[in-house]
Amino acid sequence: MRGITKRYPGVVALSDVSLDVRRGEVLAVMGENGAGKSTLMKILSGAVMPDAGVIEVDGKPVVLNSITDATALGIALVHQELMLAGNLDIAANIFLGAEESRFGMLDKAAMHRDSGKWLDRVGLRISTRTLAGTLTAGQMQMVEIAKALSHNARILILDEPTSSLSHSESEKLFDIIGELKAQGVSIIYISHRMEEVQRLADSVSVLRDGKNVGHMVRAEATKEKIVSMMVGRELNNWYPPRRSFKGNTIALKVENLQVVGTRSPVSFDLWQGEILGFAGLVGAGRTELVETIFGITPPIAGHVELGDKRFTPTSPRVAIKRGIYLAPEDRKRNGLVLGMSVTKNISLPDIGNYLPRWMLRSGTELRVAQRQIDQLKIKTPTPRQLVGMLSGGTQQKVVLGKWLAMKPKVLILDEPTRGVDVGAKAEIYRQIRELADAGISIIFVSSEMEEILGMADRVVIMRDRKIAGIYPRDQVSQEIIAARMIGE
Amino acid sequence: MRRELGMAVAVAVICAFLWYSNHHFFGQYNVLDLLRTIGMLGILAIGSSLVIITGGIDLSVGAIVCLTGVLIAKLSSPSTGGLHYPIWVGISVALLVALLIGLFQGLLITRLGLQPFIVTLGGLMWIRGIAEVIINGRTISFGSSPFNNLANYGLLSIGHEAIFSYPFLGFIAAVLLGGYLLHMTVFGRYLFAIGGNRDAAYYSGLPVKRVELGAYIISALTAGISGIFYASFIQDAGPTVGHGYELYAIAAAVIGGVSLRGGEGTIVGVIIGTSMMEVINNGITMFQWHYHNSKGHLRTFHLGTHWQDFITGAVILLAVIFDQLTHFLNRRKRLKAQAAKAA
Repeated sequence: MRGITKRYPGVVALSDVSLDVRRGEVLAVMGENGAGKSTLMKILSGAVMPDAGVIEVDGKPVVLNSITDATALGIALVHQELMLAGNLDIAANIFLGAEESRFGMLDKAAMHRDSGKWLDRVGLRISTRTLAGTLTAGQMQMVEIAKALSHNARILILDEPTSSLSHSESEKLFDIIGELKAQGVSIIYISHRMEEVQRLADSVSVLRDGKNVGHMVRAEATKEKIVSMMVGRELNNWYPPRRSFKGNTIALKVENLQVVGTRSPVSFDLWQGEILGFAGLVGAGRTELVETIFGITPPIAGHVELGDKRFTPTSPRVAIKRGIYLAPEDRKRNGLVLGMSVTKNISLPDIGNYLPRWMLRSGTELRVAQRQIDQLKIKTPTPRQLVGMLSGGTQQKVVLGKWLAMKPKVLILDEPTRGVDVGAKAEIYRQIRELADAGISIIFVSSEMEEILGMADRVVIMRDRKIAGIYPRDQVSQEIIAARMIGE
Repeated sequence: MRRELGMAVAVAVICAFLWYSNHHFFGQYNVLDLLRTIGMLGILAIGSSLVIITGGIDLSVGAIVCLTGVLIAKLSSPSTGGLHYPIWVGISVALLVALLIGLFQGLLITRLGLQPFIVTLGGLMWIRGIAEVIINGRTISFGSSPFNNLANYGLLSIGHEAIFSYPFLGFIAAVLLGGYLLHMTVFGRYLFAIGGNRDAAYYSGLPVKRVELGAYIISALTAGISGIFYASFIQDAGPTVGHGYELYAIAAAVIGGVSLRGGEGTIVGVIIGTSMMEVINNGITMFQWHYHNSKGHLRTFHLGTHWQDFITGAVILLAVIFDQLTHFLNRRKRLKAQAAKAA
């Protein structure tokens, strides 16, 4: 790709960007959210037309007017959000849009036979008759890759492929990437995760603000170098400085809480002002546990004690009244009304308490929102901006803002930095620490071990929907957490 | 607000065209009649809009219009088939029944988690069914009951015609109340939030079910009120009254910019959408064209009322097509402007 330029209303998404991928090479493309990675990949996969620039495949310039054009040239994009039809089986998904037929009828036998071959190639050993909706995120990813390969993909674009995968699923994916590479498939790998990039990539290209800022081979690609290129400044400390935390009073006591779908009840204490990290593999039951504490799905048994008051969280309303707030894992689906303004999203949970009750005061509302915008440094052109138009990190801050406007006692953050770029991450870490310093108790759920170790005062490790161990920060290491997560 | 403005201009253009074809369109009689019909449909459309904004739908309002009229006629009509109770008894019972229907359907939808479409589709049938059973499939006239005056009288009369007919006054009240509810209260904000993203509303601790229930009750109540006016307007109650009105109400809301996806809409839009529906309806009878036939005699062309469905349907489609096209054009223009600025 040479000199690719693309403009969108208000922004130049890409300006004069070039990218080279050799046959059988893994090229990592890195950059903050909004750096232009997604746009570049959309252009390469034919979903979007560039305003200027050329794309060459095998040295010949090509024009990609549509995804079909790109597919014909062997370019396939596997989206971050997996796009399988859950009500169809694996074979039907793999051949979606390219069904095999005989005499005008679907040739299901052939499709099952052929899709089985593709599944073998990605190392997925399950029946092609399995409904896609019943697969784990990791398996879906493999099916997506199998689908791409079935179109004879020679250039495979993986957009944040591990964002919803467990540790072992990621490992499997890495193996398959290695095999594909050996078979001569070129892979463009987009990721925020430094470890993966260092491990997989033959070379790394970094984008910032829609421009190339660097290209290097693996040997040169140190974490510090990449990060400083991405954010344009030295970022030697992502996390706020360690603190020694000693709790005085218990803020939240979870007693024998039995989550729907589990057998064993869970108990733990949360000190006032503490950051309690929850580590575990995807599917270890962390989200289910915190959502039960917040009342999304009421517990089968057990209760929660806040201060001295005991209660059963039967709905979010009940939990919110007590001062327990949750910033959910999937903020677009559960955290925000994307078609509403920043102001209205921030005021949403609290507006029923504004006075007078029978008359909305847009002045009060705007003041409250503006305070959060200033405090959290929410990057929005105006408080009236629709939340759907903002970047992931900014949206996450809006979710935080709506709860911070209400003086939380316990704040549950479920994957608060998922899909958030590096710069905004550091900012969010700093703010979380400030809240804890101010006496707010925080439950911090994260799949990134590093983040847990960087932030938590104590670490709860979950495995198979049970607590596998609770450790003070200074008695735990990546190795211990990893071992406990997988059950040694 | 842009969409509302465009539709308002469209309504004005159509009015001008109708006036050009027939000067009686802006005659005193026709204007007052038009305002009255806008009032009756408008009350209905406001209630429906609240439900649509939550992302739901209420198909039962036309049947409630019918049942309300039938109940009043049965209880309070002085003529054959009526039970001769005072008129306020009939009206109170009718409104109470409307409220209970709204409560019942709302509970089915919110507490039992049934689809609004199917619950109110059932309502569309069984509610009208009850009305038919009550009057044995016949029509009860209000005879000489003073109830007939309700829709036809009002305040500030010129000659025999009231400038502000009671249905129109009722509409103004509904607009003020609906506008207040939608745009100035917490309840209204919750309606938009639920329609915009139900899950996020639930995760934010909003009383989602109670708010939705409220919307369905209000919808049924406005249907009841509208039903009273319609009954008084046509001066009798029969099994076919209000047939299809739920769809007119939905169409009025959608033309006025209320999104069927939920979370979008304004009270001003509903007023304009309703006006569009009723102006078209009225225009079909008012429209005329003078021409000379082959023998040189002056003739006048009229559209029959059998044209109504076709034209109304076409207007609804044109409205949404036009809206989508301007949407595309605006986006294209914005993109071009950006590109020009960047270059």
